[in-house]
Amino acid sequence: MDHLSEKEKQTMRDLQDSLTADPFPLKTYTHIGKRGPRRLDGLPKASGKADYTMDVQLPGMLHMRFIDSPYPHAKIISMDTREAEQLPGVRYMLRFDNPELPERASMGKVSGLYGDPPPLSGIAHFEGEPMGAAVAAESEEIAEKALELIRIEWEPRPFNLDIIKAMEKDAPLSYPEMYPDSNYWNNGLFDVLTQGDVKKGFAKSEKVIEFEFVRRGHTWIGPERPCGVFQWKGDCPEVWVKQQRPHLVKKNLSTWYGGVPMNKIQLHCLYQGASFGGWVQVPWNMGPLYCAGFVAKKTGRPVKYVFTRREDFYGGSMDGGTYRFKVGFNKDGTILAVEGTSICENQIWPVFNPMNHLKESTRIPHLSGKCVSIWVNKGPTVPTRCEQLPTTLSLTAIFSRVAAECGLDPIEVALRNDGEEGHDMAHLNKKKKKLGFAVIDSLKECVDKGKAAMDWDKKWHPPGTQKLPNGRMHGLGFTWTNEWDDSLGSSEMAIRIERNDGTASILAMGCDNGVDAENTYCRIAADELGFRLEDVHYNPQVDTGFFRMSPDSSTNMSINGWAVRHAARILKKQILEAAVGPTAKTQRGSFRPAFPDCKPEDLDIIESVIIKKSDPADRIKVADFVREAGQSGPLTSTESGGFRWAFTEPLFAYSYHVQVGSYNPVNPRPHMTRQAHFLEIEVDTETGEIHIIKVVNVNDVGKAINPMSCEGQQYGGSIMGLSRGKFEEMIYDPATGVLLNGNLLDYKIATTLDVDAPIDTILVESGMGYGPYGSVGIGEDVGTVMTGLIGPAVHNAIGVWINDHPITPDKILKALGK
Amino acid sequence: MTENTKNDFRCPYCRRLFDSLSAMKNHMLENHRDGDLPKPEGQIRLTINRKKYIQDVKPGWTLYYLIHDQLGFTGSKQFCDRGACGSCTVIMDGKAVLSCMILAIECDGKTIETIEGIAEAEHPLIPSYVKHHAMQCGYCTPGFVTTSKALLDRNPEPTEPEIRTALSGNLCRCGTYPQHVTAVQETAITLKSQTRQRG
Amino acid sequence: MKDFIHFNAYSIDEAVALLSRYGGNAEIIAGGTDLLGKMKDRILPSYPEALINIKTIPGLDQIEEKEGMISIGALVTLSCVAEHPVIQKTCTALAQAASRTASPHLRNMGTLAGNICQDIRCWYYRAPQNRFSCLRKGGGRCYAIKGDNRYHSIFGGSVKGGCFAVHPSDTAPALIALNARIITSKQSISADTFFNVGVTHTTVLANDEIITAIQIPAPAPDTRSTFQKFALRKSIDFPIVNCAVAVTEKNGSIAHARLCLNAVSVVPRRAVKTEEVLTGNKIDETVAEEAAMAAVADAKPMEGNAYMIPVTRAIVKRTILACRENHGG
Ligand SMILES: Cc1cc2nc3c(=O)[nH]c(=O)nc-3n(C[C@@H](O)[C@@H](O)[C@H](O)COP(=O)(O)OP(=O)(O)OC[C@H]3O[C@@H](n4cnc5c(N)ncnc54)[C@H](O)[C@@H]3O)c2cc1C
Ligand code: SF4
Ligand code: FES
Ligand code: FES
Repeated sequence: MDHLSEKEKQTMRDLQDSLTADPFPLKTYTHIGKRGPRRLDGLPKASGKADYTMDVQLPGMLHMRFIDSPYPHAKIISMDTREAEQLPGVRYMLRFDNPELPERASMGKVSGLYGDPPPLSGIAHFEGEPMGAAVAAESEEIAEKALELIRIEWEPRPFNLDIIKAMEKDAPLSYPEMYPDSNYWNNGLFDVLTQGDVKKGFAKSEKVIEFEFVRRGHTWIGPERPCGVFQWKGDCPEVWVKQQRPHLVKKNLSTWYGGVPMNKIQLHCLYQGASFGGWVQVPWNMGPLYCAGFVAKKTGRPVKYVFTRREDFYGGSMDGGTYRFKVGFNKDGTILAVEGTSICENQIWPVFNPMNHLKESTRIPHLSGKCVSIWVNKGPTVPTRCEQLPTTLSLTAIFSRVAAECGLDPIEVALRNDGEEGHDMAHLNKKKKKLGFAVIDSLKECVDKGKAAMDWDKKWHPPGTQKLPNGRMHGLGFTWTNEWDDSLGSSEMAIRIERNDGTASILAMGCDNGVDAENTYCRIAADELGFRLEDVHYNPQVDTGFFRMSPDSSTNMSINGWAVRHAARILKKQILEAAVGPTAKTQRGSFRPAFPDCKPEDLDIIESVIIKKSDPADRIKVADFVREAGQSGPLTSTESGGFRWAFTEPLFAYSYHVQVGSYNPVNPRPHMTRQAHFLEIEVDTETGEIHIIKVVNVNDVGKAINPMSCEGQQYGGSIMGLSRGKFEEMIYDPATGVLLNGNLLDYKIATTLDVDAPIDTILVESGMGYGPYGSVGIGEDVGTVMTGLIGPAVHNAIGVWINDHPITPDKILKALGK
Repeated sequence: MTENTKNDFRCPYCRRLFDSLSAMKNHMLENHRDGDLPKPEGQIRLTINRKKYIQDVKPGWTLYYLIHDQLGFTGSKQFCDRGACGSCTVIMDGKAVLSCMILAIECDGKTIETIEGIAEAEHPLIPSYVKHHAMQCGYCTPGFVTTSKALLDRNPEPTEPEIRTALSGNLCRCGTYPQHVTAVQETAITLKSQTRQRG
Repeated sequence: MKDFIHFNAYSIDEAVALLSRYGGNAEIIAGGTDLLGKMKDRILPSYPEALINIKTIPGLDQIEEKEGMISIGALVTLSCVAEHPVIQKTCTALAQAASRTASPHLRNMGTLAGNICQDIRCWYYRAPQNRFSCLRKGGGRCYAIKGDNRYHSIFGGSVKGGCFAVHPSDTAPALIALNARIITSKQSISADTFFNVGVTHTTVLANDEIITAIQIPAPAPDTRSTFQKFALRKSIDFPIVNCAVAVTEKNGSIAHARLCLNAVSVVPRRAVKTEEVLTGNKIDETVAEEAAMAAVADAKPMEGNAYMIPVTRAIVKRTILACRENHGG
C-alpha cells in the first residue's frame, strides 16, 4: 500500500481533498483513461433487454390518467365525476377536493421557491397542467374515456405569456396563489452580481455597444415519458419511478401518507430514458407518484401512471427570455466593462446570473449583472442540461459582438480576456500553483488543437464576405468558456468482495441516465483495487441504502469518483491486511494463511491476483484467497458431520464524499480548465436554411477517465445544442395560451440528417480539475455552450446579427431584407 | 344500422359479404371445403421472431400495445406515440415500420421481427453498437438497431448517406447519431466476412 | 384509442357498401399513418364508428404499365413509388416527391392514395381533444388568422373565406404536374380537380367513394420532371413549400410545362402564369427566376408567414433549373 501515505489516510478521513489538486493520483493507470467497448449497460440497451419504468407491468395493475387543464390559468369551480365513476372498469376517482389529500405535501422541492404545491391541484397555472382529478382504471383506454365524462365548470382567469407584458404594473397575476403581489419572482428580488464599477469601465472604454436578444423557451424532451408504478406490500411501499434522483424520491416519500419509515421503502429506479435534469426538479414531479400511492392504498392494487407525450411538455429550460447588454471595450479586443440583464420566464432558480461565466473566467474588471425571473402562465423552467445556459449564451453573444466590432478573430478576443474574477492569467496561474496544479494555459491548448482541426486560420474571414461557388454564404463561429462541474452534493458508495469468486460489487443506488458513469466507477475501482475490469460490476438499480449522486445536481465524477476511490483504497487495504493475517481470523472460519510472513505493504494486487512485490511468483488469486464459502451456502451448520465450512469475515468497505466546492457563489473554486468550440456552416440566402458543415469540440476535462463517454457528451451535446439553436422552441397560441407544438412532429429535435457534419471531438488533459486524478465534468458543458454558437456563425456568414433564437429560416430571410 | 338489406351475409372464413344466404353457402362450399375452421372475430395469427402466435385483439390495439404490453416484447419503446420518432420500430415482412401506428388487428398473417428476435439471432449489429457506444440513455437504441437490421438485410453495403437516410426517421435526444453510422458500417463488414466464411 | 368497429374489406364493393352503410361515420384505413394520429389525439368532434381496412383487398398493391399508362394501385406504398425504376425514370418528380415524404418508416407504411387523401395539419385543427372548434370543424372562426400562422397559406383562405390551412401532401404537386388521373370506385378524375376544400373534406371524394388507383399517362418524349421540398428538418417534417414541374421540350425550347406548388395554399396550386413564362423558352437562370417571380406574384402573406414567399420563389426556381437536360432529372 505504498501509495497510501499517512497524509492520504488523513485526507480520506476528512474527505476535503477536492479543494486542491488531487494529491494522490495513481502512478499508472490500467483501466482509467482507456478506450474500450465495455459498457455495463451496452448489451441490455442494444438488445432491448434494458428495462425502463415505462415497461413495468404488475399483476392487477391499474392505469391512472390526469385531467389536463385546457386553460393557461383557471380554477375549477365545480366538477361532476359521477358519470365517469360509473363507467365499467373505473376503480378510483381521485379528486383534487378529496378531503384526505393534503393541501401541501413535499413534492420533491429542490429549493422551495415554488412553495410546495398540493399533489393534485384545483387551479391550473398553465395549459396542459395535469390537475383536477386522476382516474385509475383497468386500462388506459378506460381511464381516458372516464376523463371525457368528467364535467367541469371552470373559472378561466386572465393570463400572461409574454414576460415583458407581465412586468407591467396592471398585468394580471400569473401565479396569485404563490406570488400575490406581482409577477416578479420573490416579489422583485433579483440575483445581482457586481464586480468593480461598470460606470468607470465604460468611461475608460474606447467603444461602448448595447444590444438585446430574445431566446425562445424550449424544453427537455426526455425520450421516456414521466411515469411510475406504486404498490403497497402491507405498509411497505414498492415503487418504480422514472426519476433522476432516487434519493430525493425516497426522502420525500418518507414524509407522505402520515410518514413512511425509510427502511420500509423499496425503490426501483430502472434505466432512465433521459431527462437531462429537466423533469426531475419540478415540484410537480412527484404529485402523480403521490396520487398513485394514494390510489394504490385505496384500491389495494398496484397503480401505474404514464404521462402523455404532451404532458411531458409542461416545463422548459431556463433560458427563455430577453437579454440586454452594454459592453465597453478597446479596439484591441480588451473588454473593460459589461452590464447585463436577463429577464427570463418562470426560472425556478433565478440565481444564475448572465454575468456568471464572465466573472469566473475572464479578466474583465467591471461587471454588473442582474437576473430577473417573471412568472407567466407557462410551465416552470428548470435547469435542462444545465442552468448555465443563460450565462453561456450571454458570454457567446458578448464575445462574438466585441470581436465583430473590432474586426478581430474571436479567438484572439477570447485569449486576450481569459482570466479569473477580473484578473489576468498570471493571477490565475499563481492560484494554480498554490493549489498544487500544473500551470497550463488551458484555453491556449484547446484553441490550438481546435484551430488545427478546423483549419481555422485558412477559413476565417470577416463577416458576410465569403460567398461560395454553390451560392451559399460561408460562416464560422467560435465560443469558449470554462469547463465546469459541481460538487454540490454528497455521495456514499460501498464495495464488497463476493465470497465465492472474489469479484467486486459496487453498492449504491443511483440511476443510469446514459453517461456510462457506472463503467467509469468500475474503472476507478478496478485500478485502485488492482482488479481486472471484468471483475468489478455495478448495478445501480438495486437499492442498497447507499445513495450516490446520480449524475444530477451537476455532480457525477467530481463526487462519486472520490467516493468510489476512497472505498476502493480502504478495501484494498482490508484485503492485503487479511492476506498477511494468520488463520482463524474469525471464530468460524478463516482466510487462507496466504502471506503470513509479510506486511501489507509487501504485497500488491495486479489483475485480481495478490502478489508479493519482491517475488511476484509468490501469488494467490483474490478468488482463491476468499475461496468458496461452502456449497450449500455459508450458513450450513458447522456441526453437521463435524465438518466446518470456511466462512470468513466479509470484505467490505464504504466511503463517502461530502459536498465541497461549488460553482454557486456560495463556495467558489477558481475554474482552471477551458473548453472551446468551433462551428462551420453555410447559409442559403434564398431559403434561409443553415447547413452544418463541421463541428469541432475541444474540452479540457483534466483527466479523461472514460474517454469514450466524454466524447459521447461532446458529439451528443453538439447535436442537442445545434438542435436547440436551429429549431427548438415552444410555441403558444397568443390568444388562448395553448401550446401549439406539444408533440414530436411540431416540436423539432434534429434528426441524423440535420447534423450530419463531421464532429471532431478533442480532449485535453491538463489535470487541472478538482475531481479524482484531476478530472473535471463534461456532461453539461457541450450541450449548453453549443446552443448559442449558431448565432455568431450566422453573423459571420451573412454579416447581420439575428437577435431572436432559435435562428429559423424566416429570421434569416428577414435579416437579409427578403 | 340502417335498413340496408344488401350484403348481409358474411362468410365466416374470409369475411366476404353476400346478398343471400344461399350465395354465401355456395361460396363456402366452393372455397372453404377443406382447411382450418373459421377464425373468430378479432383473432389474428402472426409470426413474431420465428414463432407462431394466435392472439385475440381489440380493434383499438396498436401493434405496439400487442407486442409490448400483451406479449412482453418490451424492447420496442414508445418515445412519441405518433409516428414521429422510430423508437417503436419493428420489421414487418422485411420492412422497418412503426408499431405505434399500426393496428394489431390488421397484422393477421404478418411476419414480424423485433429487437428481441434480432438479439436472439446474435446479429453482429448488437456487439457493434456496444463497441461504438451507439447509445446513451438507450431508450431509442432498439429502434435504431431494428431499423439498421432492416437496412442491412436489403442493402449489405450501405454508404454513409444511405445509413443516415435509413435512420432519418429515428430520433435520438441524446445525440448519438454519429456512432450509428460507424456501428452499421462495421457490422456490414462483419456480415460480409461471415458470409464469406460460410460460402 | 377509443372503441370502434373494424372491418377487413375483401373487395372494393364490400368497402363501398360498408362506407355507405355507415353514411359518413366510417373511415377507410390504408397505411393508417394519418388516420390513427387523428384518432389518437381525438382532434375531431366526432370519432369514426368503424374503420374499413382496405389492405385486405387483393390486387391493389400493384404498379402496372399498360397502354401508355402507369397505374399505381391504391395500396402501393410511398417507398414502392420512390424505388420503382420506371417511375424514377419517366415520372421522376413523383419518385422524388415520394422519397422526400415523411420518414423512411412512414414511407414503408403510408400509401400514395392515402397521401393525397390526408387531412390538413393546421396546429389549431390538430390540437388534441378538439381544443379549437374552428371553421373546419363546423365552428364559427379561424384561430390561425390572429394566431400563429407561420405555416399557413400565403394564397388566401378557403371555407367561408376563412380557413388558411394548407394542403400538406408532398406527392400531390407531382401528380398534378404529371397530369395524373385519380381512379375511384365511381369515376376517373384529373388530379387537377381532385382537391377541394370544405368543412369536412379536402378532396372531391364522396363519403362512400374509394380511390382504387392513380394513373399517370406516359409522358411525351423529351419530358422531364423534378420535385423539390423545403421543410425545417431534412426528414419527418411536412413541407413548408414544395414544387413539382414537368416540361416537354421541342427543338430545344419548352413546348409544354406544368408546374404545381403545394403546402403554400389551401389546395395544391397550379402555377399557370409560371407555366406561361416557361413555354417557348429555354431553361436558364433568368427564365427560372422570372418564372419563380410569377409563381408568387399574387401571394398575400399573413402576419407570420411572409418568409414563405422568398422560399417559394427559391424552390420554384430550383425545381425548374433541376429540370434542365443535363441535370439528369
Ligand atoms: C410524423 C409524420 C410525418 C409526416 N410527414 C409527411 C410529409 O412530410 N409529407 C406528406 O405528404 N405526408 C406526411 N405525413 C402524412 C402521411 O400520413 C402520409 O404521407 C401518408 O401517405 C398517408 O397514407 P396512409 O396510407 O397512411 O393513409 P391513411 O392514414 O390510411 O389514410 C389517410 C386518409 O385517407 C383516406 N384514404 C386512404 N386510402 C384511401 C383510398 N384508397 N380511398 C379513399 N380514401 C382513402 C383515409 O380514410 C384517411 O382519411 C406524415 C405523417 C406523420 C405521422
Ligand atoms: S386555418 Fe383552418 S383549420 Fe386552422 S384554425 Fe383556421 S379554420 Fe381551423
Ligand atoms: S413511438 Fe412509434 S414512432 Fe414514435
Ligand atoms: S440514447 Fe437517449 S434518446 Fe437516443
